[in-house]
Amino acid sequence: MSDIFTEIKSIIKWHELLWQMVGREVKARYKQSILGYFWVILNPLAQMLVMSFAFSIILRIPTNAASNIPYSIFLFVGLLPWNLFSNSLSSASASLVSSSSLITKIYFPRTILVLSTIIAKIVDFLFALSILAIYMIAYHIPINLNILWVIPIFLIQQIFTLGLSLFFAASNLIYRDIQYLLSLILTLWLYITPVIYPADLVPERFRIIFQLNPMAVIINAYRQTILGGGPPNYSSLYIGLLVSLVTLFLGFLYFKSREKIFADNI
Amino acid sequence: MEKPIIEFQNVTKEFSMNSQKTFKEFLPALFRGEKTVNRFTALKDINFKVKRGETLGIIGPNGSGKSTILKLVAKVMSPTNGKVTVRGKVSPLIELGAGFHSELSGRENIYLNGAILGLKRKEIDKNFKSIVDFAELWDFVDQPVKHYSTGMYMRLGFAIAVHVNPEILIIDEILAVGDTKFQEKCFKRMEEFKKQGVTILFVSHDIKQITKFCTKVIYIRESNLAAIGNPKKISQFYLNDQENK
Repeated sequence: MSDIFTEIKSIIKWHELLWQMVGREVKARYKQSILGYFWVILNPLAQMLVMSFAFSIILRIPTNAASNIPYSIFLFVGLLPWNLFSNSLSSASASLVSSSSLITKIYFPRTILVLSTIIAKIVDFLFALSILAIYMIAYHIPINLNILWVIPIFLIQQIFTLGLSLFFAASNLIYRDIQYLLSLILTLWLYITPVIYPADLVPERFRIIFQLNPMAVIINAYRQTILGGGPPNYSSLYIGLLVSLVTLFLGFLYFKSREKIFADNI
Repeated sequence: MEKPIIEFQNVTKEFSMNSQKTFKEFLPALFRGEKTVNRFTALKDINFKVKRGETLGIIGPNGSGKSTILKLVAKVMSPTNGKVTVRGKVSPLIELGAGFHSELSGRENIYLNGAILGLKRKEIDKNFKSIVDFAELWDFVDQPVKHYSTGMYMRLGFAIAVHVNPEILIIDEILAVGDTKFQEKCFKRMEEFKKQGVTILFVSHDIKQITKFCTKVIYIRESNLAAIGNPKKISQFYLNDQENK
């Protein structure tokens, strides 16, 4: 436990580096391409259009019962946070390897490399969110104060993401296969998470899988609060929070146990 | 008496390298019962001390363990056995543009690199002019560094590192590149550091530079400390030793 406090202290001490690293990620993306930040919006937009066509027009997946929310918005509310999760995880798992030249030369808290990648992805996410906002206004989706639940839900998502990222980043440094394994896991994970279909379509006997999957809980909670206008399912959210905290704790322990030999393994 | 700023006590560094980097190689090896971990000793029972203000030259053939010593001092590696004590702020001269991002401008890279070296934003603001002056890059400071030449890269890297105000400066063969004029400038700057009492660790293959610049030299041969002492004597010993091989 004291390890965690020491780490937080040293991250605060090095906060300027953290923001410089975030800036590096964000600026570099903006500079490398002609459309720059527009890609951050264009990507999920195209994804949403194609998926809406496939799942709503061809497969006719219903959205939440008793609401007349168009599938595209229903999908978008789940897809954006899912993309954030998936992008954060895959970039973070490569973050140590891609900064290997720094790791072998200079001492600074290594967690900064993982943290800065995740924060940069959150910046992307906020840009993409603007599309959702416009969309919701255009379709006159009613919202109420319950939408504030999005903040704690988002925090739970980030706790979970950080925990997994620490684990994958450290293990990827030792075995480079981990990043390929991770992209496989993420592809499969999308299908056992109610992103393209509503959670209530899941048969009762499989519910337990979804309750133990924090991403399912999180995505479902976003929908309940943004589109449903009600509070999230508290007991599911508690379990989600608990699983996320345990994940963060274990991920951090693993990261710290490997940290000493990072430079040896490059 | 003041405690030494750097102290190596019976330091051994072993690398346990996975001989297989991927599962594809790892799994069959595991089934066949082959060793999956290879041990390799980079440093063996090294003892030395560096006093504040000394300039320590480290010489030895390639692969003898010189860089490992620097990495232990910079705290990016920890010893397998023994103890490394460092009593001061270390600033490494990073190899060519390790901390640079090629798409970002020189200006942005100065801030990024400064932060990596532990500088506060205000300190960089204060030193910005002096950094660019030293690197002689005023015409290019807002260009992305991918358009820089190798020499310009190096100048910028050196300029940032010498503005960190380190207590211990690590220089790993970086001066091998760059034109003579800039090299002279770097040495002049390093002389200033010496006068200010900065401790310098200097790795080079250039024996002339070593004897001219260092106050003490250690010679690393096949992971062992072969000799330590007066720069002229040790350099001569090293040259003779290499010829007799």
